[in-house]
Amino acid sequence: MEAAVTDQAAGNAASPATKAASAHRRAFAYGLIAFVLVACLPLLPVNNYILAATVRALIFISLGQAWNVVAGIGGLLSLGHGVFLGLGCYTTGILFNKYGVPPWLGVWVGVGLSLLVALVMGSMTLRMRGVFFALATVAASLAMVQISRHFVDLTGGADGLALKFFGNSLWAAQSRTPAPFLYAALAFVTAYYWITRWILNSKFGLEMQAVRDDEVAAAAAGVAVFRTKMLGLLVSAAMTALAAGLYMQFYMAIDPEAAFGLSQAIQLQLPALIGGLGTAWGPIIGGAIMIFLSEVTNWGGTKVGISGLDIFVYGLMLLAVVLYAPKGVVGTLLRNTVKGSGR
Amino acid sequence: MSALALEVNGVARNFGGVVALRDVSFSVREGEVMGLIGPNGAGKSTLFEIISGNLRPTAGRISYFGKDCTTTASHLRRRAGMCRTFQKVRLFESMTVRQNISVAASQCVQPGRDVQEEVVAILAQLRLEAQSERRPSELTLADRKRVEIGRAIAGYCRLLMLDESLSGLTHDEAQHLIEEILTLNRSRGITVIVVEHVLSVLAAMVKRLVVLHNATVVADGTPTEIAHDPVVIEAYLGTKQKALR
Repeated sequence: MEAAVTDQAAGNAASPATKAASAHRRAFAYGLIAFVLVACLPLLPVNNYILAATVRALIFISLGQAWNVVAGIGGLLSLGHGVFLGLGCYTTGILFNKYGVPPWLGVWVGVGLSLLVALVMGSMTLRMRGVFFALATVAASLAMVQISRHFVDLTGGADGLALKFFGNSLWAAQSRTPAPFLYAALAFVTAYYWITRWILNSKFGLEMQAVRDDEVAAAAAGVAVFRTKMLGLLVSAAMTALAAGLYMQFYMAIDPEAAFGLSQAIQLQLPALIGGLGTAWGPIIGGAIMIFLSEVTNWGGTKVGISGLDIFVYGLMLLAVVLYAPKGVVGTLLRNTVKGSGR
Repeated sequence: MSALALEVNGVARNFGGVVALRDVSFSVREGEVMGLIGPNGAGKSTLFEIISGNLRPTAGRISYFGKDCTTTASHLRRRAGMCRTFQKVRLFESMTVRQNISVAASQCVQPGRDVQEEVVAILAQLRLEAQSERRPSELTLADRKRVEIGRAIAGYCRLLMLDESLSGLTHDEAQHLIEEILTLNRSRGITVIVVEHVLSVLAAMVKRLVVLHNATVVADGTPTEIAHDPVVIEAYLGTKQKALR
């Protein structure tokens, strides 16, 4: 009798892990199908508008995944990630336009600069908690808007910076069609997905999640809280700045609002918020939903003559997620199976 | 005679104009199970926060196995084997029981010891194997407290500080937990400090009690001595007359 009870208990205990593994396998299969479909898009009879929309979605998925590392896994609600997007874009663009440095190299300078700024930002803000940290990051973003407007010779001021166009050029990482960017963006999404999964399953990821759940308890478990938060911010900043290189090459231009503005900061967060914070799949699903709705509403808005309808829809999406699915799409669908088991 | 595990020397702490602790001094020998009691507001939790490194004392010194650790960060104290639980159980709610224990084991495990082996050993010792893949929200209060103790001792533990770990438990649950704590003390040689505000709960568990009242130590002795100490009786019951009645 006792043995039977023990067996039953063991069976019950194993069941969430088994369910999680099964859910992960299913998600991976769907992901693989989606990957193949997206990779085949340029070979199918689809127009450049669809390809460009797909690239936009993939870029925002990458940026959302980068933000997810610090906010979803680490619990640091950064509203200032536009700082790293802007630094990545501006550094790549300025080095290319003014000094002829190819984006392949320029983007790494942007990453380095972002790491430096993240280090300074983190030193000043990471001892703050919750809303105070969020407000401090907003202040950093607003400061960058002013700085980029001030140095007109370098950044183009309020008008922004447009890349010199060389047509189809591997050296300049430019193309007249969106197809090459689609493959580059797909590579980013895949790499960032695996990086997030690796973090979630690593000792570092466990430390970040412990800090997110309870800083005091994390310290009592031996976790170096400040160091963990700083490392999370640095990883996220580097990922954002690297993806910003692709953003710059695809959009070919950047201005202070598009780089450091609050609406951009919110767009960086939406993929993870809609899809599911702290999960590797969340930003992928959230980013796809976000861009799809954005394109549909833009198209609809043009038809009925209302501009900025996509921003209104972003607001509605954010409200709907906060009210009805605070764990996001992935978190809500797989609440009891995926969470805490690799995701 | 065994070494001193902890020395608290003249510790004081003020919050603005409020004196939370005043010239608190006592020591704990290695392997000892000591109780720290006092009525609500006596300063027990503040003292715990200072010993574990979450608060700095306004004055005084804390020594851990002969080394001054007054300004050492809390995570470094934990890695040196100074472990604690919380008055209100604080687990990592998004993680499973196994992951909760793994966090501490991975930080504090001794060289040559495998983290997973350590986690399995802790789960077995605290009879948490069946709950290992569950999340804290699915556990009973008694199990949550055991997980917290497991996380506290995982990896390396020389001094375990339990902050009202028995409160909220049924009599049977409390007895089981007491047995488990005493087993940890015997099998792993862990020095234990137990904070409670109910004297009778501690009497069966410890051989020595330190009593805090009005921010300072008012008595230090065996449970029997403490139970008959007029200062303690007055602290708990208000007046000697009430106590005698």
